[in-house]
Amino acid sequence: MAEITLVADPGRPAGSRESRRLRASGRIPAVIYGHGIAPIAVSVDARDLRAALGTEAGSRALLELHVGSDRHLAMARQLQRHPVRHTVTHVDFQVVRRDEVVSAEIPVVLVGEPVAVHRGDGLVDQEVQAITIKAKPADLPTSFEVDVSGLEIGGVVRFEDLKLPAGVECELEPDHVIAVGRPPRAHELGEEPAAEAASGAGEAAGGEAAGGEAAGGEAGGAASGRIGDAS
Amino acid sequence: MLMPRKVKHRKQQRGRMSGMAKGGESINFGDYGIQALEPGWITARQIEAARIAMTRHVRRGGKVWIRVFPDKPVTEKPAETRMGSGKGNPEHWVAVVKPGRVLFELSGVDETLARGAMERAIQKLPIKARFVIRPGVGATPEVQV
Repeated sequence: MAEITLVADPGRPAGSRESRRLRASGRIPAVIYGHGIAPIAVSVDARDLRAALGTEAGSRALLELHVGSDRHLAMARQLQRHPVRHTVTHVDFQVVRRDEVVSAEIPVVLVGEPVAVHRGDGLVDQEVQAITIKAKPADLPTSFEVDVSGLEIGGVVRFEDLKLPAGVECELEPDHVIAVGRPPRAHELGEEPAAEAASGAGEAAGGEAAGGEAAGGEAGGAASGRIGDAS
Repeated sequence: MLMPRKVKHRKQQRGRMSGMAKGGESINFGDYGIQALEPGWITARQIEAARIAMTRHVRRGGKVWIRVFPDKPVTEKPAETRMGSGKGNPEHWVAVVKPGRVLFELSGVDETLARGAMERAIQKLPIKARFVIRPGVGATPEVQV
């Protein structure tokens, strides 16, 4: 993985008001920490940061930070973003060493056309979006590609099917599911009107609130089933 | 429609909706999402209407996640009632949404179909919202700075 040079300006004033002024002037507040050094509050140029993290390595790019006369080998550990604009509002840089193992989240990308699943009107459900691995900074892959072209409905791609590069470790169980070939939803097979009728019939002034439905209707299992996880 | 099975208190105060979403502002499950751009209360009916609009447009394939849950009771006084004599009756449930919150997620369909479905779903919502794509999906860069 190539190293990218980034100039960080030390001695930025602390506080939310000063940070806001800094962002308005085109710089992003950041902090450098790790390996026993005292945390250094710095600021980096927003355009330089975009160029540094916009490479194929993404946020796992190895950066050479120039802080005054010091040089630090670091990785962007956390990017804080504005919830609506998605602009970066703060960056954590963690100092790393070339010979030391670090952990990083690597995205899982599904490649290939799952012909058998599509022919059966099914859906490839990606259960894992990213995998946390441990490797030396130079050995960190940019992504894991999982070939799903041979996947069938009811078939599963497990973690053991992934080929990890040399020097990369992961704590996931070998049978951890990465992607599943799901059959079509029940209402697509012509059951939607029945399910909706049941949903309408189930409408009752239940519990404390009037106008509530007794149960979620129309094949909402997948959606409502995830609510607990999501919220 | 979504509603809590059991609540500790039947009635709540209205509260404030200042600030931005503090969590749930990124797409975590699917590839596409609807993100709120305004604060507001979204009722269980509106959530259900948006979900149905989305699933009907997608027709086959696709998986939908609902990322908000209406857990706040809203009370109303009956029509032609004099003021006083206590708080009204709980009538419906709402989810309190702040700007940035991802409301729905969708996967298993291409971007054009997802955009069409989610724009129909946005029409069912009482707030401004937009279609968003998870970083790394399609041509979207993994890191947006």
